[in-house]
Formats: sequence, C-alpha cells, structure tokens
Amino acid sequence: MTTEASDIYRQIASEHDADNTTGDPRFRAPLVVGGLDFAGVTETVAHLAEYKPPKAWYVAFAISLSALGLLGACIGYLFLTGVGVWGNNIPVAWGFGIVNFVFWVGIGHAGTLISAILFLFRQNWRTGINRFAEAMTIFAVICAGMFPGIHIGRPWLPYWLFPLPNQMEMWPQFRSPLLWDVFAVGTYATVSLLFWYVGLIPDIATFRDRSTSKVKQLVYGFFALGWNGSSRHWHRYERAYLLLAALATPLVLSVHSVVSFDFATAQLPGWHATIFPPYFVAGAIYGGFAVVLCLAIPARELFGLKDIITKRHLDNMGRILLATGLMVGYSYLTEIFVSFYNGNQYEVFTFKNRVLGPYAWAYWTMMSCNVFIPQLLWSGKIRNNSLLLWIIAMFANAGMWFERFVIIVTSLTRDFLPTSWHNFWPTWVDLCTLTGSFGLFMTLFLLFCRYLPTVALAEVKTVMPQAHAHGPHGPDSQRADYRPDEHYNPDKDAPRLSNR
Amino acid sequence: MKHHSTKREYWRSLEHLAGSPDLKQFSEGEFATYEPDGMLQMPSVTRRRFMQLMSAGMALAGMTLTGCRRWPEEHLVPYTKRPSDRSPGVPEQYATVAELSGVAVPLIATSYDGRPIKLEGNPKHPWSQTVAGKRGSADLLSQASILDLYDPDRSTMVLKDGTTPSSFEEFTAAFQPIIDGLAATQGDGVAILMQPLSGPSAGRLMSAIQQKYPKLYWCVYEPVGRENEIAGSRIACGQPVRQILHLDVANVVVLLDADPLGTHPAHTRYASDWASRRRNCDASMSRVYCAETALTITGSVADNRLPTKPSRISSLLAAIASNFGIKVTGGDATLAADEKKFVDAVVADLNANKGTSVVAVGSHLAPDIQALALALNSTLGSMGKTLELRSEPMYPITGDISDLTSKLKSGAIKTLLILDGNPVYDAPTDLNFAAALKSATTIHLGLYANETTAVSQWHVPQAHYLEAWNDARAWDGLTSIAQPLIFPLYGGKTPSEILAWIAGESATDSSSIVHKTFNIDPNAPMDDKMLNFRQILLAGFVPLATAEMYPSFNGTITAPASLTTWANNALEVRFQLDHSRYDGRFAPNGWMQEMPDPITKLVWDNAALISKKDADELDIHNDGNTTDMVRITLNGRTLDIPAYILPGQPIGVIGLPLGFGRSAAGHIGSDVGSNTYLLRGTDGMYTGLGATVEKTGDTYDLAMTQNHYLLDSIGFSGVEERVGEEAHTSADIIRDGTLTEYQADPVMFQRKADGSLALQLFDPPMQFTDPHAWGMAIDLTSCIGCHACVAACQAENNIPIVGKDQVQKNRQMHWIRIDRYFKGDVDAPEIVFQPVTCQQCENAPCEQVCPVGATMHDTEGLNVMVYNRCIGTRYCSNNCPYKVRRFNYLDFHSQDPRHDKYPMPWLNIPDQQQLDTIPEVKRMVFNPDVTVRMRGVMEKCSYCVQRIHNTQIVKRNAGEELADGDILTACQQACPTQAITFGDLNDQNSAVYQLHQSNRSYNLLGDLNTRPRNRYLAKVSNPSEA
Repeated sequence: MTTEASDIYRQIASEHDADNTTGDPRFRAPLVVGGLDFAGVTETVAHLAEYKPPKAWYVAFAISLSALGLLGACIGYLFLTGVGVWGNNIPVAWGFGIVNFVFWVGIGHAGTLISAILFLFRQNWRTGINRFAEAMTIFAVICAGMFPGIHIGRPWLPYWLFPLPNQMEMWPQFRSPLLWDVFAVGTYATVSLLFWYVGLIPDIATFRDRSTSKVKQLVYGFFALGWNGSSRHWHRYERAYLLLAALATPLVLSVHSVVSFDFATAQLPGWHATIFPPYFVAGAIYGGFAVVLCLAIPARELFGLKDIITKRHLDNMGRILLATGLMVGYSYLTEIFVSFYNGNQYEVFTFKNRVLGPYAWAYWTMMSCNVFIPQLLWSGKIRNNSLLLWIIAMFANAGMWFERFVIIVTSLTRDFLPTSWHNFWPTWVDLCTLTGSFGLFMTLFLLFCRYLPTVALAEVKTVMPQAHAHGPHGPDSQRADYRPDEHYNPDKDAPRLSNR
Repeated sequence: MKHHSTKREYWRSLEHLAGSPDLKQFSEGEFATYEPDGMLQMPSVTRRRFMQLMSAGMALAGMTLTGCRRWPEEHLVPYTKRPSDRSPGVPEQYATVAELSGVAVPLIATSYDGRPIKLEGNPKHPWSQTVAGKRGSADLLSQASILDLYDPDRSTMVLKDGTTPSSFEEFTAAFQPIIDGLAATQGDGVAILMQPLSGPSAGRLMSAIQQKYPKLYWCVYEPVGRENEIAGSRIACGQPVRQILHLDVANVVVLLDADPLGTHPAHTRYASDWASRRRNCDASMSRVYCAETALTITGSVADNRLPTKPSRISSLLAAIASNFGIKVTGGDATLAADEKKFVDAVVADLNANKGTSVVAVGSHLAPDIQALALALNSTLGSMGKTLELRSEPMYPITGDISDLTSKLKSGAIKTLLILDGNPVYDAPTDLNFAAALKSATTIHLGLYANETTAVSQWHVPQAHYLEAWNDARAWDGLTSIAQPLIFPLYGGKTPSEILAWIAGESATDSSSIVHKTFNIDPNAPMDDKMLNFRQILLAGFVPLATAEMYPSFNGTITAPASLTTWANNALEVRFQLDHSRYDGRFAPNGWMQEMPDPITKLVWDNAALISKKDADELDIHNDGNTTDMVRITLNGRTLDIPAYILPGQPIGVIGLPLGFGRSAAGHIGSDVGSNTYLLRGTDGMYTGLGATVEKTGDTYDLAMTQNHYLLDSIGFSGVEERVGEEAHTSADIIRDGTLTEYQADPVMFQRKADGSLALQLFDPPMQFTDPHAWGMAIDLTSCIGCHACVAACQAENNIPIVGKDQVQKNRQMHWIRIDRYFKGDVDAPEIVFQPVTCQQCENAPCEQVCPVGATMHDTEGLNVMVYNRCIGTRYCSNNCPYKVRRFNYLDFHSQDPRHDKYPMPWLNIPDQQQLDTIPEVKRMVFNPDVTVRMRGVMEKCSYCVQRIHNTQIVKRNAGEELADGDILTACQQACPTQAITFGDLNDQNSAVYQLHQSNRSYNLLGDLNTRPRNRYLAKVSNPSEA
C-alpha cells in the first residue's frame, strides 16, 4: 500500500516536476517535488551535515573566511588609529558605517517576515525557505549590530548606549533615535534568534538522532533540549511558535521604522520626511527577499535542495520582489513629489542635487537597480529562469545599498550652509570593511548550511500530501466524496485513489 | 598610573631636546637621575637615605633655579593681577611687545605657572586697543607667535657650517676675533644685514657701533618693505616720512592698491578706526573706495571696488589728482569706462569732503605714485586731519640688498652678520644671494635654522621675544618694552644682544641692554625713576604724556613733476604678502599653515590667483580641490604653480602670494606651496609686467576649508538661491543692503519672521531661569574677515591642526570659521564675511539626538559638551544645520600634520595615548583651563565657558556684580573691529541685548526654530550711487 501510494505520487509528481510554477488554478502545485517522501526530505537536508560538503562549499568558505579576516584587520586598524581611517568628514559624519548598518538591518527583515507574517497568513510555501531566511536574518543583524559599535569615535565604549545602572545615575538620553535603535534592533535580534531557535528544536533532534559521532550527538543533543517528539512536545512547540510569530510580526514593521527615525527625526533636508517608516520597511523587505533569493538559488543547486526549494518558491519570491520593488519606487517618487510640493528651498535643492548633482550616478544606480530592473519580473519566464532571477536579485541588493548611500551621504554633503558643503569619498578601509562584513555574513551562513538543518524539516513535512490525515493513509480515503487533498489536485484522468 | 609620573622634567627634557653637549653635562651634574619613585623601589635605599637624597635634591633645586618650576626671577611687573605670592594655576598677565617689520605690536601675555600660553592685544595701548582700556586686539600673526616659542623645530643650538652642532663657546671663540679686528679696519669689510628694528635699544646700539666702526656696512632688508613709500616721501617732502591715516575721521577713504585693514603694519588700529565709522549704519557711515590689483580684505569690505591692473594705478591717481589741479606729465590719461565711473565717483565725493577725506596708496607702488598721493592729500586738506605725517626713523643704512650682494661678490665684504631674516630664500632671485655668500664668512642669527643657515658658517639660535627683554616703537613712535615671560628655552640671543656684543658693551644680556637704554639700575632701591620704569612695564608702553613719538612733519609737499608711463600688458603679476605666512617667516607655524586665507580659504598651499575670464581664455579649470597647474614665465624666469580661479581677481592680473615653497622651514613649513620668490627679481619686486601663463597639463590637489566658488551647475544654483542676487534681503543666511536702502526702509531686514516664537506647537525644551542668559551678536557690517578671532580661539581652546590631507577631507577643527560668500558678477563680486561660531541654540538640534547625553544645556543657555561622556556617534553634527561641530576623527594633537597617509597605529590605551605621544614642549602651549580633547569625541565652540566661569568666580569672591563687558570671549577680544559682542541677554543694558534689538539683527537659519543665542547684524554697505 505504502509503496504503491508513493509510486503513484512519484508518477503524478513527475508530470508536474519540470514546472510546478504553473498558474493553473484547478490544482495546487506541489511544494515538494522530486517525489520525496518524509524520509527523502530528511535525507536530502541532512545529507549536507552528514557527509562531506561539495567542493564549492570549501571554496566559498575559504573566500568568506578571508574576507572575515580582512574585516578583523580593518576593525583592528580602526580601533588603534581612529575612525578617521574612514572617509567620513564634517558635513558627512555618517558614511559607510551607517550605510552598511541600515543595509544589513534591512536585509534582516525578510527572515522574520517569511517566518512570522507568512506563517500567520498560512502561506505554506514559506516552509521551504523559512529556515535559512531566518538564519540569514540573524547573521544580517549581527553584521548590522557591529557597525554602530565600530563607527563611533571611541569604539571601546558602545555599551554606554545601554541603560546600565551605574553609580553616577547616568542614563542614556532617551530622546535620541539612536537609543531607540538600540532597543529596536536589540529586541528584534532577540526575538528573531528565539524564533529561529524554537523552530530548530525538532530538526536538531532529528540531526541528533541521526548523528553517528559522539560529539555531534552531544552538541545536537544539548541544543535539542531533550526533544522526543511526543504529542505534548509538539503541542507546546506549536503554541510557542505561534506566539513567537505573533510577537515577531510587529517587530518586522517596527525595527526598520525605528531605524528610519534616525533620519526622519533629524532636520536635515533629505532625511526629514514622514514617509520614511513605511518606505524603509518596504525597502527592507525588498532587500531581504533579494538576499534570500541570492542565497537560495545557489544553495538549492549546490546542496541538492531543488526538490524542496522549488521553482515555485523562486517564482513566489520573485513576485514579492516585484511587489516590494514597486512600493519602493512609489516611495522614491513620493519623496520627490513631497519635496517639490512643500516648496522648501532646501528640500527642493536636496532632491535636485540627488538627481542631477555630483552623486547623480549613485541615485541613478539606485533607481535602475530598485525600480527599472525589477520590472523584468513581470515576465513569468524570467521569474522561472533561476540565473536571471539571481542576477536581478543581485541588482536589487546593490540597489538597496545605494539607496542607503543616497539617503545618508548625498543629503549630508549639501545641507543648509553652502560653506560647509563637502563631498564624501570612501577610503580603502571603508571598502574593505564593507567587503569584510560580507565575509562575516557568508562565513556564518556557510557554517549554518554545513551544521544545521537548512530547511525546516518538520514544517516542510506538514505541507506534504503525506502529512494529511485525509491523505491516502487516512480514514477519509474511504469516503465516497473523497478528493485526494487540498494541496494536490491531479487532473481527472489520473487514477482516483479512492477507487482502488 | 603610567601617566602620573612624578617626574617634573619640562626643562630638563627641553635641554635634552636641545641635546647640546654642554647642556647634557650641566644636567648630569645635577641629579639628573633623581626620581623618588624609583628610589623608593630600590631595596637598598632606606627611608632615611631617601630623605637625605630628597633634601639634597631640594637644596640643589633651590640653588640652581632649575629644580622644579622656572619662575621668572627677574624684576618683572605683572600687568594687572599679581597675587601676593604666586599661586600655581592662577594665570598672570604681563604687558609685552612683539615687533614685526620694525613696528611694535603691543601685547598682553597670559602665563600659567611660568609658561606663556596666550597673547592678546594690549587694551591700553593706542595701537592695539579696540575699546579704550578694556579690550585690545592682536593680529593673526602675533597671536600665533606663541606657537613658535614651543615649536620643536626651533633652532636649539649653535650650528657650524650649516648643520654641525656646536656651542656658544666655540662660536664666541670664532666671533670674538672678528669683533676685535673691527677696531683696526673701522669695520671695513664687515656688513650687518638686518630686519628693521625700531626699539630705542637697537637704535642706541646701532649708533654706538656706527660711531665706533664708521666703515661697517649696514643693510636693512625686508622682502616686502616700505622702500618705495620712503623714496616717494623723499620726492614729495624732501625727507623720509611715514603716514598715519585717521580712518575714524575720514568720511571718504580712497585706496589705490592699499590694504590698511589687512597687511599694513598698523592694520589693527586702522581696522578699529574704520569700524568706528561703519558699525552704526547711519549717516555717519564712511565710504571706502578701493582700486586694487589683488583681492585684499580691505577691498572686499570696500563700498566701491575697482579691480584693476598694476599698470593702471598711476593713471587712476593722475586722473583723480588732475581734478584737483595737480597736473603731472606722463601716465596714460585715457581711462576705460569702468575706470572713469570710479574716478568720477571718487572725485565727486572728495570734492564734497575736503578735509574729511584721505587718499592712501599701497606701500609697494612706485615712488612717483607715493609722492603724487601725498600731494593730492595736501591739496585736499587732509594733512593734520585725516592724515598725519611723521618723520621716518632712519637707520644707518649704507646700501640696499643689491648693493650688498655686489659687494659680497666683489669680495669687498668678507664677513656678513645676518641678524634675523632669511635672504637666501627671499632676496630677489636675480641677485643669487646664496652664491654671493660663498666668498664671505656668514653668521646667521635666527629663530629657526632656515635656508640661510644652510649656507652660513655659523648659526646662532635667536631668543623668542617672550624669552628676552626688548623694546620697540609703534607706528607713531610710541615706545613699548617687551618683558620676557620665560627663560630662553634654548639659550637664544636677541639681535640687540649681538649688537651690544659688537658695540663692546660691558653687559650684553637683553635685560641690561634695555635697562641701560632707560637708564635704570635694576638693583637700585625703589625711587621715582624706578617707579616710572615699573609703570612702563606695567602698562607696556611709555606713558603718553611723556612719550616721545616720531616727530611730526609739517613741511611743504610738492607733487612729482612726472609719472612713469606704464605699458599696459595682457597679463601682469602681482606679488602679495600672504595673510598668515607673511613673507614666509611664519611658514614653520602650524597654526598659520592651517589658517584659511580670508579670500581663497586655501590652507597648506598657495596658488596663482587668476580671474575667471583669464582662466577661461587659458582653458584653466578648478574642479573642486583639483586644479590645473600653470607655468608662469616672467622676465625669463619660470614657475609651475597651481592656479586658483578667484572671483574678483582683476582681469589680466595673476596674484602670487609670497612665503611658500620653503625648503628649510622645519617639519611643518618645508615644501608647502610654490616658491613665488623664484619669479621675483630686482626688475619687479612687487609687480611683474608682461608675464605669460600656460597650462602644464598637470593637475594639483589644493586644500580649502570652504568649497570653491565654482561648483557644478546644480550646486552653483543652490548657492545662488541662498546667498546670491536671487536671495531676498531677508534671506536665511546673509542679509545685506545699502545704506540708502536701509535708511529708506529701516525694517528691511526684518521682513521675514524667524518663525514666530509666540506660536509654538510644543513647550520649549528648557526654561532658562538663571539670572544670566549668554548671547552673542556678530556684525557683518564690521567684520573684515581678518581671522584674528580664529587664531584667538585656536590658542584659547587648545585647537589642534590636522594637516593638508585632513583638510581635504574637511576635518579642520577650528571652532569659529569665517564663511566667505561671493555675490553677483564673478569679475567684481560683492563679498560678505560671516563668522560662524556655535549658535548656542536654545532649541538645539544636536542635544536631542545625542544618545549618551554628551551635549546638554546649562541653565545660562550654553550648549555645553561633556567630552568624557561623548562616544562619538556624530549624530549631533549631522543634525546641526550650522555644521559648527568638529570631530576628532584621529588623535590630531599627537598626529603628525605633515603625514600624508594615515597616522601610524597607536599601541597605547586610546584614552591616554596623548600623554605619551604629544611632545612635552608642544604640550606647554595648552591652556590648562580647557580640556585637550582626545580622538573620537565631538567638540565645538563653548562661548569660552572657562572665561565665563573664571570671571564669575572672581567676581563672586570679590562680592561684586558681574558688569557688561567683564567677560570677553577670545574671539570677541581679538576682533579689531568689535564685530563680535558677547554678554548677558537678561541685562537690558548690555551691549549684546541692545544689538539683538537692532533692526539689523537676524538669526542664521532662524526658520528652523533652533532659537539661537547668536544673532547676526545685517551687512550694510555705503556705495556711491553715482
């Protein structure tokens, strides 16, 4: 019976395997292809952690580790010499440090969005990608959190930003948006980490159970928190996951809104805008999805995850990229409209200067990457071409970095008094630190791929047809009006399982 | 606790720095290794032994005066406050005097624990006071000269053959025979080349030497001197005469290439006088016409300015003079349209103001022009009213530098004594002075081992003027005495001491020389004579009632018969004094290297100044900091120099600032800019006619503290919109208008409300309930952009220099900057200077964004910085619309400003690295009242909070009320035109309150509702409408 059923599934699936992206509304596309059953899914995901990774992993890891070393060297040099090794100057007191901070924080949005909001909206396709989107979130937030710490003039004192009780009764200055950042990013990092970890527990337990080495058993065992898969565990787990999802959902919106307050509450023309919170959130989701795509496409190729992260997933993410890209483009236009509509000469000038001034190249890079190029995603063919999709996502990443550069740097270069105007050029330390932050991110991500379940096994299994009580194994299959399941709707010529 | 070393070894370390063997020997004989901490740690030293050692050390210290602090031991009289016994940490002030180009600069020096740290103008001296008896102004250069005192690059020892370290003993052994040999030859074959010295002591010694050795050759040389002015006065008056302008009396001032407010030796007084007729902006306002061949600060504040070529000045003057009946032959009588307009307006105003007008010409202009100007003034009835003539003090001059050089070359002079100066660098190129020195024995006295040292047989370190007694005479002859504030750090000598040596005086130390001149025995008991002398020391100058001035000249003045006709050339060159390096002698001074030029805002460089029109014709471009290199050819000499397109630069004139490109100006001053002396020969000392300019094809990166006038088109349109002709008279940044407009509409500057404070959405962030509310008013009408305030602030507030590469990154640290705006026609723009300090906003944008509360308000309304709380997020600077906050991106105090790359990484604890990395001698200049900021913290103008509190404490202890004017900020004190007023806004009688109520007052960017405590007074000019 089991064999037969799986054979049939494999057969049916193979008919749609080549393309589960069809928009045919009569049936739901499968979320896992390649005829994988539960064991197959586990095997696929655990393979990477249990066997030698492909050569590409080693190459990527070596590159990432070198970049991480570069980051360490740059930070060491910065600590010993001063933040003056960067290109920051007096009108442009914030340069790459804060550009990179906002860039990485923005990236950190997609993970929680996928985990929390899509979870609450019962978007089941999220299960294939949510694990490493969340991981990416954590790593991006680590990269982001580093930058405010090293960008300050006395980088050995960032803890003064925390409300630590002390004998002088000195507290941080609570009116400062930078302090709000500390709370917003801190909360976000904590909740994201918890959410990620809670989701990981059953899968770590799976890894524990499959481990053959003592060390792995101990380590996975420790982090599995004694998970034994009992119904009670599952019940508690699902409640906790749901609660955390509810808790994380507002944070998706709040963290980048608060980050945008750094700019919106300042009175600098080009920063001082009420549109910033939604604009930043849209941009963050856009950027976050771009990074998920950039990581998912090579990962599914290299780590054999094509059956779990299917083209359908990529297609969905492409659609989200397009939608958020449109929101971002709308924000750009609104910003310009409002500056001209309010008629403030400084605001008007700032936008003229952005579009046509010395940094126009950065503005038009941003516009091209974030507004023009994503329009290609209207085409389903392009969405289904992973290489093109990957290239577009890379453009989106670059575009989002340039967006922060445009907002922060071009606004600062030319503010109120023309006598203080001055351009900003990065130094080699700026560029190496940016490169190094990618090294940190990729190192963490590659380690994650190597040692942790890259796909939420337990969750993926719940959206597989086999998981459903009314599936081929369940009592429902005996009913006359049985339809195979809500996820799977083979065409009318396919064998009706209930008739067997 | 590494930094809390108990070693008190300032002086010993200096001597180590000096490194001369005799000093080493000296220090070794004197418990050089005495170190109580170290001894206590030695197990073999018992407590008793330690006490013995220590008391012996104390006794020695007492005997030799070098044990701990080096109190001036001589009989000095402090200027105002002298505690009954000296209290450590309490500053003392002494009157003293600097001398620049033979003119006294009266000063008050502030000294902490025996180290002078700040120089200010003497408020009682008529040539430096700006508010009689209360406030004195000192110019940029004199204020910066304090830094020279502690310059590690100063000459510290006698040098033989340019570089070999030697000693005074060796020098004496070599020099004494020369002096002894003078008697036989009556001085023949020996020459003294010196800079002008005005003091009675120098005069006395020179006369003595001249009498004793009549054949001694005397030459006085200054690269930018007054020889033409003196020659001109000989033509007109028959004797050398100097002019004293009374700009406070003159209703109409006509300046032909003269810069009385900028580079004239008496410019502090002139600026003060000029401002007294400007700041009221009423019918009493004077009018200044200026035709000039450069863009000087005087020209930039003139009401009518005519940029013109050097060859046209004589024609303009002749045209004006001819209207008053003075006919001279020669000169080109045909005037261009703009020249005619200028001359007509001048003539009309001079006609209407006979006796209350004055015509002044630049001292570099040809003697016949000088003579004609004197004659014109005489005809206009200026003499004795707006212009005083005084007989010029005469030195025993044998010949000029050309003559000296030829005598050196011919071998007629075998021994040359150069008393200060640097002729190898600044003598006319065609003389090839360095080569001429080869055949002679040259002895060079100088504060620095400079280019001349390199080719001299002997170099003797000179004492800084704060290290020795001296005397000097002001522009009108008023004598001042310089009191030393510190023993010579490196045992230098003064020119007078060398002269006394030659003269065979019995005592050749500076103290004896000055005491002898004033006929005082310092050891005699106190009597009337002594008391009078002490009064002189106390005030810093001879009491006016008994003072001997340069005698007045009341003789007849005759016009020159003819004027030289100058050919009009396509391109002419004008050599000009640099504002902060002067003729190059201030090149080693870091403050001066980083002092922005008032007009170009260049630092650490000079450039060939060229008009937009000429630049376009020659295809020369400025792109931000990057500019084209040009090759200037003049009389067969060539120089490659970066070009700087300057609005207002006369068309057809290339301006070449002198004082750059020095090869031996120490670590700071060497190889900065291009040496324009290389183009300058005896054929044209101040102007060069018929120059050619071509692009070399190379580019060069300049450093400016303000962006270039020529921006990209978008940037340019933004500037125009804010401060150009498009801007409204009540714009957010600069408000200006003419006197006529202002009189017709007194509220013209108030049209745009500064965001009515009565209508506020929110409660003010802070209520200021303190009895005092500090505020400032800055008058754009009287600001001349001289940067004296910047220098004062730099010295007062321990502001570091950052170096050229850091200025290119716009990381300069000055707390007060002077914004310079051009307006209108690029060939003849209007210029506005706007000093910008922290505006001390009541609703300060910086405060609410600081996450650690490092910038806060005090109850008196000051926006204060808490340096040790600041972690350097720099958010405050981003949110400051005035961009007055300065950030220590690197440890600028310990960093090398000439290091083009990033500084070497430090391996100290960053919080304390300064203690190990700032040389002790450089630390001595720091004001102990102001924190020396470390890297990574934000800083900004504090309204000199240390001065506010010091004065408050003193007044409170004395039980007195604080009166308006008791507290002066450093910038306010230095300002020669009183453009800056500070005071208590709660006191309705205070000057600052009154100014805030003025119809001219407005807030910079007031629309932002920052509610600054600073208000600006709109610029009113008084151009001729004709």
